Amino acid sequence: MIKLQEINKTYQVGGSPLRALCDVSLQIASGEYLSVMGPSGSGKSTLLNMIGLLDRPDSGRYWFDTVATEELSEERRARLRGENIGFIFQQFHLINRLSAFENIELPMMLAGHPLKQRRNTVADVLAMVGLSARASHKPNQLSGGQLQRVAIARAIVMRPRLLLADEPTGNLDSHSGGEVVDVLEKLNQDGITLIVVTHDQTLGDRAKRHIRMVDGRIHSDHSGDTRSQQRVEKRGKNSVDETD
Amino acid sequence: MSMRLTDQFTFNRQLFLRHRVRTLLLLLAVAIGVASVILLTSLGEGARGYVDREFSALGNRILAVLPGRKETTGGGPPIYGAVPRDLTLEDANALATIPGVLAVAPIVAGTTTVAYSNRSREVITLGSTDAFFAVRQLDVGAGRVLSPRSRSEPLAVCVLGVKVKRELFGSSRALGEWVRVGDRRMRVIGVLEERGESLGLDMRDMLLIPVRTAEQLFDSPSLFRILLDIAPSADSDKIEQKILTVIRKRHDGEEDVTVISQDSMLAAFDSILVTLTLAIAAIASISLLVAGILIMNISLISVSQRRKEIGLLKAIGASSRQIKQLFIGESLLLMSMGSAAGITFAFSLILIFARLWPSFPLQPPVWAVPAALLVAFGTGLVFSIMPAKQAAALDPVLALRGLQP
Amino acid sequence: MNLRDSSGWIFRALWMQRTRTLLTIIGFSIGIAAMVLLSALGEGLRVFVLNEFTQFGSHIIAVNPGKTETFGIGGLLNTTRPLSLSDASAIGRLANVEEVVPVVMGNAKVKFGQRARYTDVAGVGGAADKAWKLELAQGRFLPADDLQRARALVVLGSKVKDELFAGLNPVGSFVRIGSERFRVVGVAAPKGEFLGTDLDDMVFIPAGKGMQLFNRQSLMEIDIYFNPRATSEAMADKIRRFLIDRHGFEDFTLVTQDQVLATMDNILTILTFAGAGLGAISLLVGAVGITTILMITVSERTAEVGLLRALGGTTNTVRTLFLGEALVLGLIGGVCGIALVALFLLLIYLFVPDLPVALSPTIVFGALSLSMIIGLLAGGQPAASAAKMTPIDALRAE
Repeated sequence: MIKLQEINKTYQVGGSPLRALCDVSLQIASGEYLSVMGPSGSGKSTLLNMIGLLDRPDSGRYWFDTVATEELSEERRARLRGENIGFIFQQFHLINRLSAFENIELPMMLAGHPLKQRRNTVADVLAMVGLSARASHKPNQLSGGQLQRVAIARAIVMRPRLLLADEPTGNLDSHSGGEVVDVLEKLNQDGITLIVVTHDQTLGDRAKRHIRMVDGRIHSDHSGDTRSQQRVEKRGKNSVDETD
Repeated sequence: MSMRLTDQFTFNRQLFLRHRVRTLLLLLAVAIGVASVILLTSLGEGARGYVDREFSALGNRILAVLPGRKETTGGGPPIYGAVPRDLTLEDANALATIPGVLAVAPIVAGTTTVAYSNRSREVITLGSTDAFFAVRQLDVGAGRVLSPRSRSEPLAVCVLGVKVKRELFGSSRALGEWVRVGDRRMRVIGVLEERGESLGLDMRDMLLIPVRTAEQLFDSPSLFRILLDIAPSADSDKIEQKILTVIRKRHDGEEDVTVISQDSMLAAFDSILVTLTLAIAAIASISLLVAGILIMNISLISVSQRRKEIGLLKAIGASSRQIKQLFIGESLLLMSMGSAAGITFAFSLILIFARLWPSFPLQPPVWAVPAALLVAFGTGLVFSIMPAKQAAALDPVLALRGLQP
Repeated sequence: MNLRDSSGWIFRALWMQRTRTLLTIIGFSIGIAAMVLLSALGEGLRVFVLNEFTQFGSHIIAVNPGKTETFGIGGLLNTTRPLSLSDASAIGRLANVEEVVPVVMGNAKVKFGQRARYTDVAGVGGAADKAWKLELAQGRFLPADDLQRARALVVLGSKVKDELFAGLNPVGSFVRIGSERFRVVGVAAPKGEFLGTDLDDMVFIPAGKGMQLFNRQSLMEIDIYFNPRATSEAMADKIRRFLIDRHGFEDFTLVTQDQVLATMDNILTILTFAGAGLGAISLLVGAVGITTILMITVSERTAEVGLLRALGGTTNTVRTLFLGEALVLGLIGGVCGIALVALFLLLIYLFVPDLPVALSPTIVFGALSLSMIIGLLAGGQPAASAAKMTPIDALRAE
């Protein structure tokens, strides 16, 4: 479903270049559940943005399904994003003046779906995240966990095949965080591809495939709960031990 | 306890630098308003100055006596010039004896054809005397003016306006030549200097002949106007009364003339132009009002964006009065910077204009800058009170949390 | 994103920030109102003056003696090239000429018994009442006498009649004008002013008598009213050739009503534009206001822009939404401005009912289009900067 090939990305930070991604190659199949971990500034969020088509690589190639995305116009990328990818942010990014229902409706509105269809779909996803009773509440009337569940509902309302979550539990207490993770994992079980970027080891460990990033490179990439050291790639010497 | 002014300036400067674009746009708005007030009033004042100069170019005080009278007040003077009882040359001579009258120029006016060899031209012809040149401060560029003999004798001489001369003679010499005026022949004794228009009369396209000659030419003893040059020290109202008395005596008790004084005409022009200038200034200051509303809007936004900062200030001991002072000071500072920009812009435009059209110098009336500043600061003050009050009323605890009250 | 959703979004966003929206609209509407009001006043003045000129019809040609441009006062001066009464009667016999009014104007004392009044005296022909649309309050107008041998009859203007006769019926009485006695045959109905001349403070006598009274050899003007089927160029040409034939050469000046109207129209249109320009200054400041507020809005809603992009919104969508806000601000500002003007015009109508200032559909439509255009221009820069943001940068801004 996703194929990255030697992706490079450099940012200018305070006048000096910062290599956020360095020759990153990665393949993700449909239905996978990935966690991306690593220290701050290791490039995990950049990788997520790259996969989410929010950012363009300086060099390298990225196929989404069979589409070579780096050649697409900004408008085409936006459409691809709207139809296939759902985002979940640490800060929720809900619009305060809109109700929960309207926030969830937003992607469909941007895609120009008719009102009736929107109503039904939104009602469905609201039920799915267990917030049917809160449809008309504004964000400031909801708790943190509820906010993130609204954000998840918004992310899946277009029935995307890929869900990208950037620290989805970062602003939540452990109870609400657990609720949110439950919802996300249920979606994954229903077939959606889920990529979670997190600092939280417990959350990261729940994924079926673990990617660890250090200094813009994929440091390790192994699958399964067994932590069998199934190292893929890396030209550099990966001397960091994974026993933390 | 109050904050020192320099501290306040520093505080505001940091704010302006943080919101550079916003501040620049605000300054632009204020500058447009101030500049337009100054420029537009300068235009009005320039027109007034122009008229004043046109009148004072005559250098002296003139009264004009017109035949006919209308009793409707507020109406214009009787412009038709046709009356049953003519204003005559004898009337003019009688007016010359009034003390305080320096010179009397009777004028017979008409249109006639003036021709030289095969070229001819239809022009306005004024029949007058040497006094006309003195009263209107006209001079010849070549030759000489009408002589004092023109007061009483129908001399066959004429003085040409420059345009008439050019049309008839081209570049060849006109002095001493004979031209045909109507059905008479007259000798050219002078060509007027190039002075262009004066009070709407294009003196370049005119012909001047002795008054007696004009009477014969137009077969009419009636004068179109009598111009009187009065002494600078004389009371023009008194002289007006005397003129009416003399005319009444000569016209069997009828007061069938109208006297117009240059002073009253000037005053009328002045009051029209001053009114116009004030009206324009008022319209231009509407833009300052709009700028004031914009400043209030921005200040309100600024208050809501800076809730935390205001809360902090209060928490560390700022009084409500100081908070108010900060916000009002900010708006006044904006107004003064904007006004300075506007004044600079307006005056540079005025300078450029003066280079390009030196004959019509723009001069802002003395009240323009103070008035513009007054309106600017007035609106700045009025429109910053509400936001400042809002800021001062913030609860520090809530504000620090960035919460709405 | 469809239109309904976009507009819903825009109104919602504006409503969330009512205070700033309101203030922006007030500022802009004052600007629009200033501009619309001043152009409406200019337009009103234009219509008023043109009406004054066309109240006598527009198929008029005036002939003045003398061939020179003298700001229209040529006829008032003496001339060695007279226009005679026989010129007038001869022109009257031309085809398509409906009325000919010879005119000589002056100022004289009109006396009845012990009462006297200095007033304007118009020496005219018997057709002047039709041509000048004079209504008679009493009696009749001057008869269509032979111009050369007109009788000493007079029609009084209403003000002259009031001054000299008060409540008495003047018809049949004799008044003295200059040295001659005139029999009053009629009294004109009040007509008001025409360009500063009080038409009621005037008496009408036959042109021939006027020329005698004022001792003039020439008429000041001949007004020719021609059949609307003829064009004014053709008529002017015909009259010009006819008079050249009579006089030997062109010693007169022809002015058609069309020319006068065109000149007046030009001057007054320029005046209207000047007025609109004055008002436009305030509008400009209002536009700066919209720009400023939108720029602030964009910077406050940066994260929202990022979100919209992440959720599949295109740069176009983002631009449209912010331009839409500007457009709506401009439009509402325009509507409020026009409402403000309407209120003002109502006041003007109540206090100065004579000045026909009206909100023409053209002005209303023009003002609304202008406010939208200015709104779009003012919103252009902020909308572009919103559209230009990369989604990640926008999302990061907090």
